[in-house]
Amino acid sequence: MEAKEQSKKKELWYWNWLIGSVALRVILIYFSNNLNLASRPEISTPLTSLRRLAEGYWLKQSSMSPYAGSMYHGSPLLLSLLGPLTAKRIEGQPDHILCSLVFVIADVASAMFIRATGRNLQIAYGQSLKFLDLVKLSEKSDILPSGDIAALVYLWNPFTIVACVGLSTSPVENLAIILSLYGACRRIAPLAAFGWVMATHLSLYPVILIIPMILLLGYGPDTPPRKLFLQRKYVEVGDTPSNDRCQQGEAVDQPELPYVFSWRPVIHFLFWTSLWLVYVLVLCGVSVKQYGGLWELFKRTYGFMLTVQDLSPNMGVLWYFFAEVFDFFRNFFLIVFHGNILFMILPLAIRLKHRPFFLAFVYIVISSMLKSYPSVGDSALYLGLLGLFVNELADMKFSFFLFCGYIGVSLLSPVMHNLWIWRGTGNANFYFATAMAYACLQIILVVESVSAMLNHDRKLRKLSATKVLDGKT
Amino acid sequence: MGESESENEAPKVKLRPIVRLGMFLISHSHLLSVVCCTAGVLTLLLLPLLAKNTYISENALMPGSANPMLSSQEVSEANGLVKDLTSLDLKRMASGIESQRLIAQYMSNLGAEVSFQKFYPQSNQFHPLHFFSSPDSATIRENISCSSYGLNTVGIIRAPRGDGKEAIVLVTPYNSEKIGLGEALSLGIAYSVFSLLTRVTWLAKDIIWVVADSKYGEYAAVDAWLRDYYIPVFSGLGIQNAEMCHGLEENTIRERNMRDGFKRAGTMAAALVIKVADRSEQFEDSLSIYAEASNGQMPNLDLINIVNYLAVHRQGLRIKVEKMWSLLNCKWLKILGEILESLGHLAKNLNPQWKFGIPAADYVEGTATLTSSLYYQALGIPTGPHGAFRDYQVDAVTLEISSRVSSNNKGRQNDFLLRGGRLIEGVIRSVNNLLEKFHQSFFLYLLTSPTSLYAHANNLDPSFEKNESNHPASAADELGITLRSWKWLYAAKKVLVVHLWGAVVLLLPYFICQIPNCTPTTSFVVWVLLSIFSLLILFWILGSPFSYVYASQPQQREWALLKSVTISAAFIGLCLMSVINFATAEIGALLMVPMCLMAHPLKLDVKSRKLRNFSRVACNLALGFIGFPPTAFLVFKGVFEGFDGISVGDFWNWLESIWAWSSATYLYIGMIHLPCWILCIHVILHPC
Repeated sequence: MEAKEQSKKKELWYWNWLIGSVALRVILIYFSNNLNLASRPEISTPLTSLRRLAEGYWLKQSSMSPYAGSMYHGSPLLLSLLGPLTAKRIEGQPDHILCSLVFVIADVASAMFIRATGRNLQIAYGQSLKFLDLVKLSEKSDILPSGDIAALVYLWNPFTIVACVGLSTSPVENLAIILSLYGACRRIAPLAAFGWVMATHLSLYPVILIIPMILLLGYGPDTPPRKLFLQRKYVEVGDTPSNDRCQQGEAVDQPELPYVFSWRPVIHFLFWTSLWLVYVLVLCGVSVKQYGGLWELFKRTYGFMLTVQDLSPNMGVLWYFFAEVFDFFRNFFLIVFHGNILFMILPLAIRLKHRPFFLAFVYIVISSMLKSYPSVGDSALYLGLLGLFVNELADMKFSFFLFCGYIGVSLLSPVMHNLWIWRGTGNANFYFATAMAYACLQIILVVESVSAMLNHDRKLRKLSATKVLDGKT
Repeated sequence: MGESESENEAPKVKLRPIVRLGMFLISHSHLLSVVCCTAGVLTLLLLPLLAKNTYISENALMPGSANPMLSSQEVSEANGLVKDLTSLDLKRMASGIESQRLIAQYMSNLGAEVSFQKFYPQSNQFHPLHFFSSPDSATIRENISCSSYGLNTVGIIRAPRGDGKEAIVLVTPYNSEKIGLGEALSLGIAYSVFSLLTRVTWLAKDIIWVVADSKYGEYAAVDAWLRDYYIPVFSGLGIQNAEMCHGLEENTIRERNMRDGFKRAGTMAAALVIKVADRSEQFEDSLSIYAEASNGQMPNLDLINIVNYLAVHRQGLRIKVEKMWSLLNCKWLKILGEILESLGHLAKNLNPQWKFGIPAADYVEGTATLTSSLYYQALGIPTGPHGAFRDYQVDAVTLEISSRVSSNNKGRQNDFLLRGGRLIEGVIRSVNNLLEKFHQSFFLYLLTSPTSLYAHANNLDPSFEKNESNHPASAADELGITLRSWKWLYAAKKVLVVHLWGAVVLLLPYFICQIPNCTPTTSFVVWVLLSIFSLLILFWILGSPFSYVYASQPQQREWALLKSVTISAAFIGLCLMSVINFATAEIGALLMVPMCLMAHPLKLDVKSRKLRNFSRVACNLALGFIGFPPTAFLVFKGVFEGFDGISVGDFWNWLESIWAWSSATYLYIGMIHLPCWILCIHVILHPC
């Protein structure tokens, strides 16, 4: 009874904070003209700026190619969805208020999906712990509702808020990514496929998420290392079956799935993916038919991302590098920089294959660190997902350092930008220094979170080994 | 943090040297922070010794390499202008427009393009985020009263050799309603140079002479002109207001012609503001240079150096720099100077190569100058109309020339005009030589290398302290807490709430200003009361809901966590401020760093009755007293200006002035200093 009341209270608490975050966003949107966030390079990149989208829509309305003049580089579908909203003005309200409301809805939806994913992950994890007889571990220290925490971290993260208020399309991109992860977690193949196709179509980099998604669909959500299950099974089989053992064996027969790769959802997923892919391509083809066709589209969107044509300063490290590099080395370094992301895919996939969702998180951090036009919206996504592992990462090192670093960098970088661009007392190096510090922070975050996760696995293994010994004696 | 934990688990294992070094430093962190702080303060005191001689880094400038061409002919023309202006003033023609017409007449006689620019005075508005945005976002024009407006007169000479893309600006502020002799003289100097420059062949940059109407303040006039120069208003509010006002006037057509004919030259390479002080000097003609723009930003060092070089070596003017006069009579400073002098002698005896000693008198004077420049930079208020240029990335200085005798002695006045004119001519000639922008990229230069050392030493110790205070906490609570490495979250939340409160406190004066008939003292009291009230409310609202997650965990040694989070907040704030306004960060660090590092609960100290603990209690109380911004202000004011006649209203006035200029120092006091002080007091009074 008391537990029920407690959970009800928690529920209420969650909804209060959710409504609070929405209210804050609406207030900030109302004052968005004063804040002038949309012009900040940290928030709106050439890919995510809504101003550019409005420009592209205008070009399209006057029957020109929306990609003319290197203004717009996003997807044509987003253009036809958000474009009409940018053109509509309501008297007495800030510009683009309808788009802002769409972004608020996208943020709330993302938070809800994160919450559902978190619950799903937690239940699955609890089951596998039960299977390993490590329930005590989870009961000794009360498990935090990671879904709620992650959702609130996502909603209240200043990065998410400024990305939402600052008129960038990254809330929509984040929603697509979260949708795909949610679908994969719940093993809803059509949804997962739709999310992945949309995310890839909108921002290209989520293409690498196909590996964790296949793992998620094949193995199910995160579990402790597979070896433990085998060990456990071996112990059970080897033991002379006593009564209570038998009972337990029956009870755990059901969740025996975790370490078997089931191909069915994966095949489903691939089938649906191809279906959605064809659908999206056809839609794109229709909308850009008279402006040079699909090839032109790819060149203007994905080509623009991969060849780093816009060298205006942003939070990443690539603009500075490619402004300096000699032209004949440019192609080589483009390959090196993008290869950097690809190099890390396989080793990480092998090491973390038992935790596909965490693997997806790591991929997202890496790609948002090395992508060509990063913005705070990307950080908002991975920081929100980090909240999902709050129980596993309780021992993470340098958490305070990272916290202070993120605050310091996000305050320093506008100041440095101002010194460089408006005051003229600084130069490009000032701003780039904060970009480098930011990249370093992300590296530390990814290294520390992975090592904390591996330590957690080690701890589980130790506990399970003592359990097995106990069982034998 | 991580190190300390691993060390707890396996103390026997031989550790790497760097880890052992770290542990050694952590265990002696108190001593270390005291040493670092003292080193920082000592370095600050040594700065006059370490100052370097300035030099001109841009070779193209070549100051003083050409003979001055300004002759008595130009001077006599300028004398005519001065006489006309003063006679106009004596006649009291009332309308300011007469004098402007006169000046415009003189300008166009020289063949310059003349235009007028009309502007409306703007009440000072608070733009807290002004620093983070472009200058144009601050152009909110409202409440313009049509009857009061100022009129700037602008004359432009097109360079015979230039492509019209660059320009040098001369500014002479004057009050059109009452022209003093000093203002007339400054106009005379500018006029003599201007008339020379219409004839010379070497001019490669256009010359703009702005006669700024200082009826509503010098800064406002120059700022209005610059805004029109850089941000043309094509449509919208500005024009509409202007049109609205035109309806009220008779000679609309001529006014419109004036306004439409807003003339531009190229981008500005440099700007010189010329003023002549009304007061007279005792010994010789002297020149004061004012350079501080908003938020302590300084113009390029080369510009100041040229002026300095030409004034001293060519025109024989004495350069005066602002000083804290009260420091000159300071006993302990003199003693320190003498000690340093004797140390210098000693060093010279040991090795003749070591030359760092300076005479005690020089040292005292250097310290006084340094203090005053630090203070004026830290205030963040521009010291003259040159500050307006800095917002548009133009290097500018104000030159205030004061003559020896103020009498209307004809020959004396001619000589004065000649010297002033030649100085300006030389500076313009140097700037004219420039091929590109000034490129010496100093903006902390008044105290260049030595200060960076100071800041480094002082900022180093928070990190050590942080480790120290985390160390006992991690040792104390072993396992059993869920968020082991995240246990700082609660303290971080508290710090965040207090900083939010700081933002609220910052906004309060905006509302208090609206209360009519308030003396400074009452507004200050109202402000304090409202602040306390808002602090209570904020704790009541934000203190409760989040805490139930952590309610189960007893926060052991909570104050240590709180202290470490406070120190890191102070560290981030000081880092940020040192980029925006270094002088503010320096003064702030002097007050805040010892306070944050020393903070320790009184209860614990009083319990263990030792001398060391009692001294810490005394230190804490003293630092807590001096760290509170109003008391700090009043104490320093009392020390420098005497204690009689001081009231808390002074603090309010001071704060209002930096608020009106939207200085970043205001934000610093409210968002960083005050919250950190509150948190330190919280730690000191912690119930443990």
